[in-house]
Amino acid sequence: MKDILKLDKIKGYWAETVADSPWVAVIRALVRREARAMSAPIVQPASVAGRALTVVIAIMCFLACLTSGAVYMVNQSANDWFADIASEVTVQVIPVDAAEFEKKVTLVSLFLAKQAGIVKVSPLSSEESGELLKPWLGDSNALSALPVPRLIAVEIDRSSLPDMSVVRRALESNFKGVTLDDHRRWQSELRTVTRSMVLGGFAVLVLVGAATVASIVSATKSAMASNREIIEVLHFVGARERFIAHEFEKHFLSIGVRAGLVGALGATLMFLLLPVVMRFLSSGGLAAAEFRQLVGTAVLDWPGYILFGAVVVVVASLCMLTSRYGVYRILKSHD
Amino acid sequence: MIRFENVGLRYGLGPEVLRDVDFHLVRGSFHFLTGPSGAGKTSLLRLLLMSLRPSRGLIHLFGQNCADLPSPERADLRRRIGIVFQDFRLLDHLTTWENVALPLRVFGKSEASYSEDVTDLLKWVGLGDRMTAYPEVLSGGEKQRAAIARAVIGKPELLLADEPTGNVDPNMANRLLRLFIELNRLGTSVIIATHDFQLMDQCDAPRMVLNEGHLEVR
Ligand SMILES: Nc1ncnc2c1ncn2[C@@H]1O[C@H](COP(=O)(O)OP(=O)(O)OP(=O)(O)O)[C@@H](O)[C@H]1O
Ligand SMILES: [Mg+2]
Repeated sequence: MKDILKLDKIKGYWAETVADSPWVAVIRALVRREARAMSAPIVQPASVAGRALTVVIAIMCFLACLTSGAVYMVNQSANDWFADIASEVTVQVIPVDAAEFEKKVTLVSLFLAKQAGIVKVSPLSSEESGELLKPWLGDSNALSALPVPRLIAVEIDRSSLPDMSVVRRALESNFKGVTLDDHRRWQSELRTVTRSMVLGGFAVLVLVGAATVASIVSATKSAMASNREIIEVLHFVGARERFIAHEFEKHFLSIGVRAGLVGALGATLMFLLLPVVMRFLSSGGLAAAEFRQLVGTAVLDWPGYILFGAVVVVVASLCMLTSRYGVYRILKSHD
Repeated sequence: MIRFENVGLRYGLGPEVLRDVDFHLVRGSFHFLTGPSGAGKTSLLRLLLMSLRPSRGLIHLFGQNCADLPSPERADLRRRIGIVFQDFRLLDHLTTWENVALPLRVFGKSEASYSEDVTDLLKWVGLGDRMTAYPEVLSGGEKQRAAIARAVIGKPELLLADEPTGNVDPNMANRLLRLFIELNRLGTSVIIATHDFQLMDQCDAPRMVLNEGHLEVR
């Protein structure tokens, strides 16, 4: 019995806290149009400053979403490459003795398959190996006559990467003319490049974020200045500071959410269109293809879109907090 | 109910606008506050509304020392005071009706509970057909009446009116004065700041006269 009472108390407290939050008021108004009171809202719904604020927020939110989406995407495809590259090594078998060559390739393959941490061993046939050289040698019969080295693609267990240097040493002591390439150099170079790209992206993100904060704060401030009269009158008729702040928070939060959603929606459209653009671009030569490599398929996955949601929440909260600060500042001069 | 002890007021570093103001008003009193322009009538009313703090001295309102009240309590005291500003201060984006209803809305009452009272009061002050008009299109006298209606709608214990009849004809001034007297009869203390001697002569009430910062009650 006591427990139930306590629970009720907690519930009551919770309901009160939630009902008091401007977010709830705004979400409620967005989800279902609340039965409108006869009277106009206390805070002026549409002023020139309010409209300017809406435009500023929408644009800044759009830019912030674009930047964060792009950084997220590059970061994501960089991670994908690393995973791919790290899980693949190549073994090269040089034809020392032409007669025994096929047998040697099979033996090396079997040896590799026995090593711990190796998931799959797939030796390339001589045609496939030749295919790889085509870009350099052209389409000629010369290939069949040449002693082309054979490649064995080895896939290793991503979850428990084996020590490749041990495997390499074992290979080299057992077989002659066999080398193992774990793309280490290429990997570390790539890592540097992508890391600096992601870092650069973050720097841009920070700059855009700072610009967003600054412009939203200043636009909210100027919108608040035009509301000075309302704040004063409310104060004089006996409204508590919290009541006034709450009215303004509700109003500015709803501006922030609506404008932020417009911006995020714009960015979403951009990212949905991007794969189409990329496909169009990728038919346009080497540079485009490289770019494509960089951003992957240019498809933003769903956590990326959740990021947009977070941007909207931050932007709207900023707007709300600035308005609250503005209210208290104006009230302070009267108390 | 209201007690001023040695109150002095200055704006910033300027000269003292009010000096050694001492008075005591009991519940249910009715006073005129008069004095030449710039004498400090509005300033005195702002002190009473707690929108200014005195530079020195003590102000007691409703038995409480205003100086050391936290802000929510000051807001609660303000709810017991109705004020008519010299410059009306109606909100331009609300209709006359909504402006008058504003204090009740702020007090958290439901619209259904006060809508009739607001309409009745507006009719009483002669704004029955201007209820849906916005302050922008009201005449000076109409704004003044709306401001008065807003001040009295919450049945305040103390009514402060700054030049409440400055913009209306003698007939309407008389009518508004009767509204104030009626309120006073119901228990509200009233202070009317005015330089309208004709108005003051209509009613035998004590006058607080401000001159060069000093207050004298006659
Ligand atoms: N915010 C302010 N800052 C500085 N000085 C002020 C301020 N408000 C009023 N004053 C000065 O204080 C003095 C008294 O002003 P107040 O408005 O109280 O006079 P008043 O008696 O109401 O005059 P009126 O009859 O013209 O309304 C005036 O000299 C005025 O210039
Ligand atoms: Mg004045």
